[in-house]
Amino acid sequence: MIDPALSSLGARVVLATSSDEIYPPENIIDGNTETFWISTGMFPQEFIICFAESMKISRLTMHCYNVKTFKLEKSISDDATDFEPISENELEHMEGHLQTSDIPLNEMNATHLRFIITSGHDHFISVHRISVER
Amino acid sequence: MVKLRARCLVVGDAAVGKTALSQMFRSDGAHFQKNYSMTAGVELVVKSVSIPETSDSVELYIFDSAGKETFVEPCTKVWGQPSVLCLVFDLSTEPSFRSCGRWLERVRAHSQGLHIPGVLVGNKSDLSSRREVETSVAQEWAQSQGLEYHETSAKDMENCEAPFLTLAQAFHALYQDRLQTIQNLA
Repeated sequence: MIDPALSSLGARVVLATSSDEIYPPENIIDGNTETFWISTGMFPQEFIICFAESMKISRLTMHCYNVKTFKLEKSISDDATDFEPISENELEHMEGHLQTSDIPLNEMNATHLRFIITSGHDHFISVHRISVER
Repeated sequence: MVKLRARCLVVGDAAVGKTALSQMFRSDGAHFQKNYSMTAGVELVVKSVSIPETSDSVELYIFDSAGKETFVEPCTKVWGQPSVLCLVFDLSTEPSFRSCGRWLERVRAHSQGLHIPGVLVGNKSDLSSRREVETSVAQEWAQSQGLEYHETSAKDMENCEAPFLTLAQAFHALYQDRLQTIQNLA
């Protein structure tokens, strides 16, 4: 099943390396692609999503703009430590359209997900929505 | 209110005054080093610049990079993905102006097709009797390369803030522009 909004399940963004107060990182998990979080310069950029409890995830989808390469990591601890790498991903630039990155996760367990955006197709990137299939 | 962060590369031939300019800017004119000390690697200077008529600011991470040829290659490894460029030459040394094209090429080769706002800075304007590069010539070349031109004297604290303020404003404008594009996607 697809969750409409991660925030309605008690997920929170516990860290983000950029903050324009008009575009807060909470916009990533509100289930809406029209709202977004934007980076405010330089790479890498990072954010961490914390779930209310350990989740089994079969697939993750990220909607974003101008992202070139990013790494995904997970933690199964309660306090956002001991992250393990899951995947390194590269996205093509889509002029005027959101990029969609689909990552199959094979019923993986996680309490935290960490996204590290290592480079962009432009100086600034935006992340519009992250959703998971359980 | 937003605080942007920009990686500002400072490049140009050895001894044109890149470190003096960066340090004068950092210290608001309190620190001019009289003796020359060659920069062998990259020195990091961080300073925040307020953008006039907004509550926004740009934190400049200034990468003061060695100009001596031997050290350039290792330095480029820490340049990363530059946000803005400050290209410096010495008004009293014509060859340092001629090198600017090569420096610009180097930085562009490093920026993966991204548009990098930049300024060209003619430093040591205090040495007027030894001037070898005319303002109009430098201005014209800067314009042809899409750079904004400034003349400074780090020694006399003349105009040292202007190039960095220009870069901060250009980066802020770029942010506003990209924000507009992204808002229109939705």
